[in-house]
Amino acid sequence: MKLQVYAYILSAAALLGMVPTVAAQAPYPTRPIRFIVGFPPGGSNNIVARMISPKLSEYLGQQVVVDNRGGANTAIATEIAANATPDGYTILMNAPGHATNPSLIKKLNFDSIRDFAFITQIGQAHNLLVTHPSFPPRSVQELIAYSKQRPGQVNYGSSGIGTSVHLSAELFQYMAGVKWLHVAYKGGGPGLVALLAGEVSLYFGNLPTVINHARSGKLRAVAVTGLKRSPAAPDIPTVAESGVPGFEVATWWGLSAPAKTPPAILARLHKETVRALNDSGVRKQLQGLGGEIVASTPEQYAAYVRNEIAKWAKVIKAAGIKSQ
Amino acid sequence: MKPDLFDNRDFLAGLLFIALGVLAIAVARDYPMGVAMRMGPGYFPTVLGGILCLFGGAVLVRGLRSGQQVSGDWGWRPLGLITLSILLFGALVDRLGIIPALVAMFFTAAAAGREFRFKEVLLLTVVMGAFALGVFVYGLKLPYALFPGVWWTS
Amino acid sequence: MDILSNLALGFGVAFSPENLAYCFIGVLLGTLVGVLPGVGPLVTIAMLLPITFNLPAVAAITMLAGIYYGSQYGGSTTSILVNLPGETASAVTCIDGYQMARQGRAGPALAIAAIASLFAGCVGVLLIALAGPAIAEWALQFGAAEYTALMLMALVASAVISGGDVLKGLAMVVLGLMIGIVGVDVNSGMQRYTFGVPELVDGIGFTVIAVGLFAVAEIVVNLERKDPREVYTGKITNLMPTRGDLKDSAWPIVRGTAVGSFFGVLPGTGPALSSFATYLLEKKLARDPARFGRGAIEGVAAPEAANNAAAQTNFIPMLTLGLPASATMALLLAAMTMQGIEPGPQVMLTRPELFWGLIASMWIGNLMLVILNLPLIGLWVSLLRAPYRWLFPSIIMFCCIGNFSVSNNPGDVYLCAAVGVLGYVLAKLECEPAPLILGYVLGPLLEENLRRALLLSRGDPTVFFTRPISLTFMIATLFVLAVVIAPGLRKKADNA
Repeated sequence: MKLQVYAYILSAAALLGMVPTVAAQAPYPTRPIRFIVGFPPGGSNNIVARMISPKLSEYLGQQVVVDNRGGANTAIATEIAANATPDGYTILMNAPGHATNPSLIKKLNFDSIRDFAFITQIGQAHNLLVTHPSFPPRSVQELIAYSKQRPGQVNYGSSGIGTSVHLSAELFQYMAGVKWLHVAYKGGGPGLVALLAGEVSLYFGNLPTVINHARSGKLRAVAVTGLKRSPAAPDIPTVAESGVPGFEVATWWGLSAPAKTPPAILARLHKETVRALNDSGVRKQLQGLGGEIVASTPEQYAAYVRNEIAKWAKVIKAAGIKSQ
Repeated sequence: MKPDLFDNRDFLAGLLFIALGVLAIAVARDYPMGVAMRMGPGYFPTVLGGILCLFGGAVLVRGLRSGQQVSGDWGWRPLGLITLSILLFGALVDRLGIIPALVAMFFTAAAAGREFRFKEVLLLTVVMGAFALGVFVYGLKLPYALFPGVWWTS
Repeated sequence: MDILSNLALGFGVAFSPENLAYCFIGVLLGTLVGVLPGVGPLVTIAMLLPITFNLPAVAAITMLAGIYYGSQYGGSTTSILVNLPGETASAVTCIDGYQMARQGRAGPALAIAAIASLFAGCVGVLLIALAGPAIAEWALQFGAAEYTALMLMALVASAVISGGDVLKGLAMVVLGLMIGIVGVDVNSGMQRYTFGVPELVDGIGFTVIAVGLFAVAEIVVNLERKDPREVYTGKITNLMPTRGDLKDSAWPIVRGTAVGSFFGVLPGTGPALSSFATYLLEKKLARDPARFGRGAIEGVAAPEAANNAAAQTNFIPMLTLGLPASATMALLLAAMTMQGIEPGPQVMLTRPELFWGLIASMWIGNLMLVILNLPLIGLWVSLLRAPYRWLFPSIIMFCCIGNFSVSNNPGDVYLCAAVGVLGYVLAKLECEPAPLILGYVLGPLLEENLRRALLLSRGDPTVFFTRPISLTFMIATLFVLAVVIAPGLRKKADNA
């Protein structure tokens, strides 16, 4: 008897759940939009998402709800988005992990290109190569010469395997033909602490997290990883101009939707996102994070992602980082 | 094997530790071991698995000597129902929304109790469910669907 | 001494009606999310961060900081009442706090937790004000070798934690160490024990383990009994601690504060480890260690003091060097940067009103928390008068939502159910969960630092003995080992 009642309640609940929501002919959007972020709260991805979501909500006339699905360097969130109904009510925040996971994770249950409709690259930020003041080389050239004489003896720190901090150093070794010893830390905080304490000699930190330490003399700034100098630190040369031409590593944020999302909806999302990015408040906040607005077209953004995937596949293979 | 071994507290605990230790070592065989001074990812878990087996063995032998029994009966029924209620919540919350998930969870969990009064459980579900929605969905603005495709909008 | 004028400036800033209001909102929110398992200060601060862009810097930072230390007050509440750790650092409080509640002493337990937190919080803030920069510089000397030695000492000391059954306690510590391994290996990037499940790549979350082992297992143990006896004793003696309670707790609070202040400064260790460390210390120092685990008030007072002191000193590296000691601190750092403040040593000079205003607000906030929490005790305790058949489904609800809310992932909820089954079996076999949690907290730190130290020394193990701090911990470890083993040996000799 007891169980019967209980089964009834369960099925009633299930039935209630299955009633399809009335999708009338009203123009998109008619209900809140889920904005999936591949990191737990904390970190720049989450901040960027929460920076633009209020603006997007305002322009679209519907709540854009940030949904943090952290794990596996965005792979968990990306899989959820890839499998979501392509109706414009699910959008995804992309991060560099989107481009490196195909090389780092053997079994991905989605295709980083084919399963997505790319909307726009929101912005990007660059890293800054900093060294401990006791470390002799002062420039990229000196660093390369110094490292060539001491293969495997220079220690560099990172915020973890596969992060942009780590991959910057791997790209540098690959392009400059030097060999360092990688010491991985759990996150940017501990990695930076180790550099300040002199446990490691060099570190490609996210610019805003290390620039103040360089200014106060606790660290020495060597070069930035952008192709052009950073507006936040125009006095610091780029790696590319100091002897490793073409060297570029960016941390980036982008917006995509499941592949079969209707073109009209994608166009609307693109228009409103670019509008949100042109908001002076958003621009200022992103600059506070050391980033700059990109706001590219869907075609440019898709090409960018494709290029990133190819680039990192090469570096990761050369560095001998095993996929699993 | 004597049947009362299955009720021997330390024997079972030892067995469990050994089983987990062996499992750990078996899985860690796929990871590079390295050497003590340059440990690979397999080194630490293998050593730990070995230590766990040792401790497990000692607990097991002690159990054979003391023969202390598990106190009280095993509560398989409450364990099963409580576990099921948590699993149901997990399975439903993303598919059907938080309200159906909570209803299923409350009724299953309450069935694990000594007495099940339908009206009381219903009331409890409504009161606590409303509280949870108020705190988590309304207050903390966690992005949970109430029903499929139905979100709280403010 | 210009510290007085600095403090005067700080209090002037903090006492403005606006800043007082934001401080209050912060600690209130902190208490709330502290009480709830899963949702913690990290999530809350992350969600509120965008809103604070529009606030003045002092108000924003004051509020966000309040959420963090406020959560340490709230975390103990559910630990004591229903064996459900609200925050990582309050897992230890479950051991004796919950036993006190079952004996009808939930009131004194909650009150002593608040009093201990107030004392520790105030001392922690004092440390920031007086010696922040010096402490931060000192903490930088902790490298991989030092951490390894420190963790080794904690590991050896952990043998003390188990209630009498050292053998099983040690086995549980090792099991905890192994559970801590699950996920991506920091040193090599290799996935271990993930069995191809993406949810396991980042490891098994603390909430999953703590909720499963403590709360879920405890509920099933209570339900398995056939007799309808209530779980909590009917009589509730008094709400406030007696004079004797206060006397028993005084020194443990002081020691807990010291231990907590130490761990709080070290990046990566923080409140959770400090509360375990101080519990071990108290148990070893106690005249009658057998009382621990059966509702000893020191077992609540010391860890609660420790985690709150640690929550305050956690700010030291962030405020004085611009270095985050934890993920939450990294978020606060981001909040400051986005307000246009450059964190680091210069903050004290360029923005004194912010630095000293924050310090002053922390004292005020700690006081607010006690005023907020003490009257609530009556309400909390009266909840325990509800029949257990109402309580346990509600606890399960908080377990479910709590686990789901950590990363909005049903996988965590399933995992918690599995850990609950393991927890119940272990409880029936009388294996205590606390040593396992300790191992789980220690394990990743120990392995990571051990391997890093050897990597940096190019495989030379003498590194642990040539660095002074590391050497000190190594000697201390041997000493602890002797203290732990000696009584056991003596007993054996007596028996023979």
